[in-house]
Order: sequence, then structure tokens, then C-alpha cells
Amino acid sequence: METLKSAFDFSDFPRLDISIAGIIAIFLLVFPLFSHSAFAMATMIQFLMFSVYGMGWNTIGGYGGQVDLGKAQYVGIGAYTTAVLLIRWNIPFWFSMPLGVCLAMAWSFIIGYPLFRLKGHYFAIATIATSLVLMDLFSVWEFVGAARGLEISPIKYHYPDFWRLIFKKDIYYYYVILGFFFVGILYVNGFRRSRLGFQLRSIRDNEEMASSLGINVHWAKIKTYAIATAFVSVVGSFHACYIKNIEPQDTMGLDLSILIALMAMLGGAGSLWGPIIGAAVLIPLKSYLKAWLGGAAGLAGIDLVIYAVIIMLISALEPRGIWGIVEKVRRRRWQ
Amino acid sequence: MDILIGSLVAGVLIGMILALVALGLTIIFGVMDIVNFAHGEFLMIGMYTGLLTAQATGIDPLLTLPVAAMVGFLLGVICYYGFIKYLVRGPMVAQLLGTFGLMLFLRNLALLIFGSEDQALHRGILIGKSFDLGMGVIVPATKLAAALLSVIAFLAIWLLMNRTKTGKALTATALNARGARYMGIPTDRMNALAWGIGGASVTMAGALLVNFWSVNPFVGILFTMIAFAIVALGGFGSVPGAFFAGLVVGMIMEIPGIWDFLTYALNWDWMANVPMTSLKYTFVYLAYFIIMVLRPRGLFGWKR
Repeated sequence: METLKSAFDFSDFPRLDISIAGIIAIFLLVFPLFSHSAFAMATMIQFLMFSVYGMGWNTIGGYGGQVDLGKAQYVGIGAYTTAVLLIRWNIPFWFSMPLGVCLAMAWSFIIGYPLFRLKGHYFAIATIATSLVLMDLFSVWEFVGAARGLEISPIKYHYPDFWRLIFKKDIYYYYVILGFFFVGILYVNGFRRSRLGFQLRSIRDNEEMASSLGINVHWAKIKTYAIATAFVSVVGSFHACYIKNIEPQDTMGLDLSILIALMAMLGGAGSLWGPIIGAAVLIPLKSYLKAWLGGAAGLAGIDLVIYAVIIMLISALEPRGIWGIVEKVRRRRWQ
Repeated sequence: MDILIGSLVAGVLIGMILALVALGLTIIFGVMDIVNFAHGEFLMIGMYTGLLTAQATGIDPLLTLPVAAMVGFLLGVICYYGFIKYLVRGPMVAQLLGTFGLMLFLRNLALLIFGSEDQALHRGILIGKSFDLGMGVIVPATKLAAALLSVIAFLAIWLLMNRTKTGKALTATALNARGARYMGIPTDRMNALAWGIGGASVTMAGALLVNFWSVNPFVGILFTMIAFAIVALGGFGSVPGAFFAGLVVGMIMEIPGIWDFLTYALNWDWMANVPMTSLKYTFVYLAYFIIMVLRPRGLFGWKR
């Protein structure tokens, strides 16, 4: 009960923040009621998905300071669990999703235990390595369709199927992922003031100090890694039902892992709003740049060049991201 | 037996080139404590440099090495002064993602300029020729020449690092940057030099590799991961470590060939059904993970 209360307790934010967040929440709730293009809808769903990915990354990467560049492997585990169970045994999403989370968390414990003996760069590269190993294994595993991947053919089901999450209209998907989005915000809000949240921030700031205060550093990191995994895996399952076509390269590739980390970094790692801001900036930018520039003949890749320049500028000039800039401005005004 | 020896020879030859690929990464890491994710993209640029120089001037692709070295040196120095210098002020998270940004930038710039098609060399003195080592082992001449040249380049850089004053200054910067600054070593210029040498060595490896490996803009990430595995095995910052680890990783990449030999020798049916060739690089990633977990310092590492 106490933890539930703390999840709804936003009182330590300035009033301005809460009112802006409230306005955005209301906008997100009513957005589909206005007329919109299918493209805008797809972009909004992508934005919400990546916000939840980013929130998950933020628990371990932002609050914990452990740069994880292998989150896509858990997207893959979630997506494949849901898709395989649905295709082979017709098991609905709401059962396969928790199962996917359990599998992903089990895998995260198995590799998390050796992984967290590493620090800094070594840890980051090792997470990439594990993710690529898993992707390669899925690309040759016939049971999950090898490199071709799996396809959920929607013809077999009656629309709208809430149990299996097979819809014709994107608006249903939008509200499902919006639900996950709000639950995610509430969870992270509770997390950042929980015992584990404080332990993790002390680990980020000074690991030796944290362990001398009696914190079990290794275990705290593994636990948080599993939490981050759960977030990512849930959206992975959603991804399987929404995209309906999953391939190892798309769902488990390095690009996705990087994008997840990048979003949280750009917005501001280690703050509640950071990943959401990052996703809100990068996802529309990415899809509109691609639509405007990528489509033109002979300009393939120019969207990603612009994208890369933004990453480089942010990391060189303001490593704490957009939220860091906001806080800097605020501090200046108070003085 | 000939399959086994053939695989081992191929492993050694590719390993010599991979050692040169990893050398740049280990120098940069040793001097600056920064992991360059764009390393494979430097290699890709080296490959394009070799290819385009050979095609434009009509000289043999193996002779494009100096051009590639020049391009790589300039690329490294420009990257340092234009970007990395500002990046190292920030926390580690920002450094990681910053070099990732550099990787994306170079890769997609190459995509924009060269297009996404595979390109390969077709003309050259050695292309299409091969040596017969006896016992049915045939070595393509390009691979052999590339491996030998890469060993020569490796030795040259090793001499530069160990036998010249500049090399000593570089080592001093690597050991203790602040101390080196007090001794009057311009550490900023040394960092730039490390990036230049690192870039030059990897683009040379690229120009050698393009003799028998087709190039496209996405080739980089594979070699980045291979280089990480080599550097992890050899020890971050260790130059001789990079060489021996390169050979080992070359062998690891030939595991499918060895597997073929075992399948043939043991005559077990289930072994033939394992899709080993698609798992070729998986072993490299796995090797990185296992090495890092079991022995984080690597075989020859001196830096923690």
C-alpha cells in the first residue's frame, strides 16, 4: 500500500512540471479523437513504445549508471515468446506476455550475474556481445523461423480481438500501449524513491562508498537489470502483436539497442521525464526525416546522417541531455 | 586432414590482418581510455580508399597502402580535434554514445556517397592466383600478400611506439597523462597522434582486406566487434597482446572449417546438420564475453 502511494506521489516536482505533465497526459488521452493521419498515429505509437523502452533502460542505465547496450535481446525474447505461443498454440497475449517477462528476467539473471562483474566500457561491450550471440542463435533456430522470422497472419482472427491483441485499427493499439506507458511512469516514479532506487544512485555516484555502506552492489545491479528487462520485454510482446512480423535483425539487432539507450540519454538519463522527452524528440524526427528525405532518390541514409550529427552534438556539448539543459536554466534563474 | 590444415592456415592469415585492425583500437584505448565504436567504420573507409584508388589510378591494390595510411591518419586527427576532444570532458555514458554517433555518421555518409551495393576488386596482379602448399592446401595469393604486408605494418608501428622518442611520449601519456604533462609532453598532441596512428593502422588493414573481401557501408560493425574481442583477449592497451590475440581470433573464426573436418573425421550425422557457417561470428562475440568475464585484464593486459 505504501509503495502504491509513493507511485502516485509526484509532490517533489515543481508545480510547473506537474501541470505540463498533466496537460501532456490529457493530450495523449484525447489525441486519437481528433482527426489524424495514419502516419501520425503510427509515429505516436512508436513514441509510446520507445518511451517505455527508455524508461526501462533508465532504471539501470540512468539511475544505476550502467550503460547497457544490449536491451534488444529482451525485446526479442518478449516478441518471440508472444509470437510463438500465438502461432503454435493460440495462446492469447495477456498470458504469453507475463510468460515472456518471466523468460526474459530468467535470462537476465543468467547473464546478469557474470555481466555485472564488469564495469564501464567493458560492461557496455559485453552487453552488445550477448545480444548479438542471442540474435545469431535465433537466426539459425528453425523452431522460431530462423532468419525469415515469424509472421502472425491476422486473417485467422476476428477483429477486434482483445485477448490476442489483434486489431485492424491502430487506435486500439494506441490505447493499450498508452496504458503500459502510464503504468511505466507510475512504476518508475515509485522506483526512484524506493530503497533500491536510492541504493542504485549511490552505486552510480561512488561504488566503493556504496558497498562500504553495506549495500550489496552486485545484487542491486542484477535486480535493477531484471526490472529494466521486464519493461522492455512487455513492449517486445506488444511489438509482436502490433507489427505482426518479427525478424531477428529488427527485433534483436544492435540498432534497436542503441536507439533505446540513445533516447534515454538524449532526454536526460537518471530523471523521470528524460526518456519520454528523448523519445518525443527523436521518434518524430526520425520518422519525418525518413519520410521527407529518405524517400527522395539517391538520398538514402541522409536522415541517419542528420540523426548522427544530433547524437554527436548532444554527447559533446551537453552530456546530461535535454533535461540537463532545463535544470541548468532553472538553477540560473533561482540564483 | 587437408580441410583442417587449410582452415588453420586461413585462420592464421586472416588473424594477421585482424591483428592490424585491432592495433588501432588498442593504441587509442591505451592512450586515452576511450572506446572507439567507430573503429569498424574507419576500416570501411580504408577499404573504400583502397578500392577507389586502385580503380582510379590502375595501380595494384596492394600498393594503395600509403594512400590508405594517409587518409586514415588525417581521419583520426580530424576526428580527434573536431569531436573527441570535446567528448572526453563528459562522463563515460556520453563518450560511448558519442563514438556511436560517429559510427552512425561515417556509415551513413558512406551509404550516401557510395550506395549500398557490395563492391569488390576484380583487377590486380595477384587476384585469382594461388599457391599450393601441398597436401591439397591452397592459399590465395592475395590473402598471403595481405597477411605479410599487415605483419610488416604492424612491426613498423610497434617500432614507432617502442623505439622513437615520440613513441615513448605516447607511452608516457598512456601511463599517466597528468605526469606526462608535467614533464612537458604535449598530451593533447599525443592524443591526436594516437588517433592518427590508430586510424592509419586500421585503414591500412582495410586496404589490405579489400583485396579479398567485398565492401559495403555496413561492413564496419562486424569488424568493430572482432576488434573488441581481440583487444579484450590481448588486454586493453597492449600492442603485442593485440598481435597474438589476433591470431587466436582468426582461429576462432575458422571454427566452422574445423567443425567440417571433425564431421568428416568422426562421421557423425548430427554434426553435419548444425548450421556452423552462419554462426561463424557468434563464436567471436561469445569469446569476448567469456574472456571478459573470466580474465578482464586479457592475456597481456597492464591496464585495469
